[in-house]
Amino acid sequence: MSQQPDPIRAGLARGWRVHGGPHAAAPAGLSCDVAIVGTGAGAGITAELLSMAGFQVVLAEEGPLKSSSDFNQRESEAYPSLYQESAARKTADKAINILQGRCVGGSTTVNWTSSFRTPPATLTYWQQHFGLKDLSVEAMAPWFEQAERRLNIGPWLQSPNENNDLLRRGAAKLGIASAVIHRNVKGCWNLGSCGMGCPTNAKQSMLVTTIPSALDKGAILLVQTRAQTLEMAGGRVAALHCVPVGANGTILPAASTRIVARHYVVAGGAINSPALLLRSKLPDPHGLAGKRTFLHPVVISAALFDHKVEGWDGAPQTIYSDHFLDTQAIDGPIGYKLEAPPIHPVIFASTLPGYGREQADLLAQFANTHSLLALMRDGFHEQSPGGQVRLRPDATPLLDYPLNAYVMDGARRSFLSMAEIQFAAGARRVLPVHEMAQQYSSWAQAREAIDALPMKPLLTRVVSAHVMGGCGMAGDERLGVVRPDGLHWQVPNLSVHDGSLFPTSIGANPQLSIYGLVNRLATGLAKQLGGRDIQLA
Amino acid sequence: MQRRTLLKLGIGTATLLIVAGGGLALLRPGLNDGRLAPAGREVFHAVARAVLDGLLPADAGTRAAALQAHLKRVDDAIAAFPSATQAELSQLLALLGSAAGRIGLARLRIDWPDAGVSDVQHALQGMRTASLDLRQQAYHALRDLTNAAYFADAAAWPSMGYPGPKAL
Repeated sequence: MSQQPDPIRAGLARGWRVHGGPHAAAPAGLSCDVAIVGTGAGAGITAELLSMAGFQVVLAEEGPLKSSSDFNQRESEAYPSLYQESAARKTADKAINILQGRCVGGSTTVNWTSSFRTPPATLTYWQQHFGLKDLSVEAMAPWFEQAERRLNIGPWLQSPNENNDLLRRGAAKLGIASAVIHRNVKGCWNLGSCGMGCPTNAKQSMLVTTIPSALDKGAILLVQTRAQTLEMAGGRVAALHCVPVGANGTILPAASTRIVARHYVVAGGAINSPALLLRSKLPDPHGLAGKRTFLHPVVISAALFDHKVEGWDGAPQTIYSDHFLDTQAIDGPIGYKLEAPPIHPVIFASTLPGYGREQADLLAQFANTHSLLALMRDGFHEQSPGGQVRLRPDATPLLDYPLNAYVMDGARRSFLSMAEIQFAAGARRVLPVHEMAQQYSSWAQAREAIDALPMKPLLTRVVSAHVMGGCGMAGDERLGVVRPDGLHWQVPNLSVHDGSLFPTSIGANPQLSIYGLVNRLATGLAKQLGGRDIQLA
Repeated sequence: MQRRTLLKLGIGTATLLIVAGGGLALLRPGLNDGRLAPAGREVFHAVARAVLDGLLPADAGTRAAALQAHLKRVDDAIAAFPSATQAELSQLLALLGSAAGRIGLARLRIDWPDAGVSDVQHALQGMRTASLDLRQQAYHALRDLTNAAYFADAAAWPSMGYPGPKAL
């Protein structure tokens, strides 16, 4: 257990209004100005701004309220308690494993802190194809600047760990540009445990920034409480119905809570937000809710070096390369961003291919293993429509995301680029994470083998940590679920404020894109509702 | 309800059910209330012997204890899954726990408790590269869950050279 000061336990001790789970039971009915679904990147920014503007806010979060005292850097506890579906959420055909947060702070509590503004090429594409004329680089800049100030986002100034420096060195040998990643940390201890919840409160997640700020201003937080349906009356949302859920998400027989508000903000994250709209049978004249859900499908390349890499140690993801995004057209063959992810025993052993003696030999070299990932920029091509969120018979969401030839072509090119960089950095052997791949001992051998690998789902190991879209924003109701101001096209007292807004993927780790865009939307919403003038930072 | 969900898994499963001669009602459940039932335990025990070959302790007594501790962790991991995932896993384990399902899905002719490490590894390899999605999905479910449960335990870390979390 962390012995660090715990701002959450301190807040609870001074009287924060938190209900559900181990806290006081949630009341049967609540009324407020604004009800917010979720507590992640979009919900956190919205809650802080609306509370600053003088509104009574209620937040409903299906995950638990955990904090630095609970964060003990162990995967065995973090995955079941802090992640959606125990960090094993999968697409319908089980070919993609999705890491997504499910706790107070949402994915910001467990992400690896990588912070990028929405790339200019992405904003331009949205302006041209989705009628989002106001989302120019210049117009968005002040919103990003404020979010960066609020969350202490800046370049990582310490030396990268060896896992990241190998990316830098390998890329440099090949003349491929790389750069330092900006991170949302304050006094980071360089532990490398971000994915299990920051035990020192250095990560400036929603858990330790905007949510405490909103609670200090009187916001009410319901935890282990799922937003089940929006009740409609006369074309408007009349109430939000919430149900208590157990640790594994099962609905408990205890009483439900009906929240009545002037306005409702859905920010449960992509997959969950469109699922709430679908469960609620909201008007959807163009059949768009849940469609165009994007994942930045990721493939991984492992490499063995003669020296220690210790990829678990030190700040994760501090170096990146956009070479394979910037050197080709955004609407051409799928491009990819390269990063060096942190590796810990459970995620490493369950992601790498194989079993038996061969696996034992590979795992014995864990400390000397380097890993690279390529995250593919989906959603910018007619052959990249993304996935569709549907409801299971029990009304929980299921994402169907077919990995088609367009995406899998990118996976092959990603494997090639990563192997070449790893050999350039001095790798002794490279293993593309694919069920039919072997460890290759030279770039020439790897290139020939990767060219011949069958690039099929379930043979190629594909993961995702970025879920986006499903309630897309557009300047035309035929192209999106919500308007450019974040309001639902058909339901006037409902907004969507999370990553499900994005009409394509981002082409970069999305947290700062959510902070910046939602900062703009929530500031506008506060004004529309007649609140005080506010600014995030 | 259970039958309807299962049939959606694909034509391969439907065929298997016909082979099984009567559907799920005749199969032993894979899970009971989200916990491994005997059929599920037998499958995961055999899979652990195969997947963790080279990692489990060599001494028979220590090895048996390590496997029991491992199955407890598998059980705990399953308990943390949402009901929909548990239901799918229960169906998969029920199928694999029947003779027809074991032969049809895993192509394993020897019952799980009697199968040797190489028999199970051969079955896993066939599922891993199968053309039928369901067989590949079954491979990933069994193999990934086994590894995740085994390496969740600090006792497994020295074999990887992982020192554990830094003290604060």
